[in-house]
Amino acid sequence: MFAHNTKKIITFTAVAASLSFSALYASAQEKFGFGRSVDEAEIARYDSDIHTDGKGLPAGSGNVALGRDIFELQCALCHGENLEGVPEMGARSMHEGRRDIEKLPYASSLFDFIRRAMPLTDPGSLSNDESYGLVAFLLNETGVIDDPNLTLDAKSLADIKMPNRGNFIIDPASKFTTEDLEDK
Amino acid sequence: MKNTSELKPTRRHFVKAGMATSAALLSSTSLAQETTLEPSRGPGRTIMEMGYYGERSEYAKDARLKGNRGTGLVGGSLTPLQNMQGMVTPSGLHFEVHHSGVPDIDPSEHKLLVHGLVGDAKVFTMEDLMRFPAESHFHFLECAGNGMGEWMSPRGKTVQQTHGLTSCSQWTGVPLRVILNELGIRGDAKWILAEGDDGARMTRSIPMWKAMDDAILAYAQNGEFLRPEQGFPLRLLVPGFEGNMNVKWLHRLEVSDKPWWTHHEVTEYADPRPDDKIRAFSFYMEGRSVITSPSAGMKLNGPGFYEISGLAWSGAGTITKVEISTDNGNTWSDANLEAPVLPKCHTRFRMPWTWDGRETTIMSRSTDDTGYTQPTYAEMYKLQGPIGMMHNNAIQNWHIAQDGEITNVRS
Repeated sequence: MFAHNTKKIITFTAVAASLSFSALYASAQEKFGFGRSVDEAEIARYDSDIHTDGKGLPAGSGNVALGRDIFELQCALCHGENLEGVPEMGARSMHEGRRDIEKLPYASSLFDFIRRAMPLTDPGSLSNDESYGLVAFLLNETGVIDDPNLTLDAKSLADIKMPNRGNFIIDPASKFTTEDLEDK
Repeated sequence: MKNTSELKPTRRHFVKAGMATSAALLSSTSLAQETTLEPSRGPGRTIMEMGYYGERSEYAKDARLKGNRGTGLVGGSLTPLQNMQGMVTPSGLHFEVHHSGVPDIDPSEHKLLVHGLVGDAKVFTMEDLMRFPAESHFHFLECAGNGMGEWMSPRGKTVQQTHGLTSCSQWTGVPLRVILNELGIRGDAKWILAEGDDGARMTRSIPMWKAMDDAILAYAQNGEFLRPEQGFPLRLLVPGFEGNMNVKWLHRLEVSDKPWWTHHEVTEYADPRPDDKIRAFSFYMEGRSVITSPSAGMKLNGPGFYEISGLAWSGAGTITKVEISTDNGNTWSDANLEAPVLPKCHTRFRMPWTWDGRETTIMSRSTDDTGYTQPTYAEMYKLQGPIGMMHNNAIQNWHIAQDGEITNVRS
């Protein structure tokens, strides 16, 4: 019985020492040992999200022309030929209001959402190249980047500074400030 | 052989006989006179005829009201608050909002992956999660868009339409901090991405302080497994925070030092302001109340006694006071708060009232234990402007006409 407890304490101390635990969140909770440890390869199969600094952006690239082709085939039915939105399909304009592409704070979340959730009836079906192409098309079409030859990949997408980022203010009740959330 | 109807007196015969007896009683002072009891209904349905999962009476018709945009994959339904009693919402009447339909998930195959800035990334089966110590808590859940259609002018015909995107349940699951402590979190860990396993893989950024406070990985609602539309078999519950953050069909948590600014947190669930700034990470559903009875769509049956009853809730804490005005906001009286009064939970309030039969407007306003009092629309417009329709927690007015008709008004 003693040996059992000692082993758990040792395990905890070793983990704590190697990871510089925050005093705020550190806890002497006993380990239950449930669940299965996973390696990076298994995590990578599920870890599809894109961070604001571009971490997670995949290999591949796409340009405005590719994006336009995909948009006409897969998106225009709901979003409209000119991004004006088709209300009866449930899509709002991407030129104004809450879906205004120009007002997005990060291009990373545009890529992330298109690749994970669109098109609505077949989410997750777009390739990485098609997703890059769609972001290039949308940024050009809305005038955020006025370049009909724009080609995007992991590096160039991460470098985009969206013009409206400074207009997002952080609710103080979130206990975070704008400075807390800036990329360092 | 005789017809059975001749052998067995019908219920109508008994009733007639009963009436005759009553008349005899009225004309007599003798208590000894023989009477005929109202007949029994006779035997009901057998246990074999009853379902293994109980169903409500065929006469009980309360139903959600559905709305959808386009394909129906993005849509929702509203709770019939006007007919709800007490503080708990029946699971089958809990409001829904979906962004890519309702997935069908086999719990024996469902897994939760927790990774990122943790000591030991792990995947948990439902069986694993249910072995951890659990907790049960009553909490309301409210969509940030509850009442957005009311923002510019009163449109809803009933309280279901004006306020039906809030519901309240007892949720059971493992506290998220237990899982995070199990894995160990790094000192620079400040945010967690919660991802659902619906088609659109809904994602929201959750602050670590909330995760370590009262967030729950919930697998049960009102004593049974979650309903599919509530995230079966696993959902995140972040009590008091806007509904969308309570990610359903939860299958992945990634710990990081920064938020993700996901699609939903920068578009639908961010708040544009009159000065062209956009308020982000506005998590709290602030203090709110509404009179559910009498409410729009009902009609008072002449002057006399009515109990005014409704719901109050606050994502920031516990309701401490609900005031009611029955004279268009000129004077206010404290309503009774019905126990239990719990933090981040629907609170039922009641107040006796005698209607004098004259036209008037009734309303309620709540105060919570942070001292926050529910604002008027005029006060909210100053802060949020014409497009700031999310997080609408303004005071709701119900107009009562002389004929007793109740309608949704703005005064």
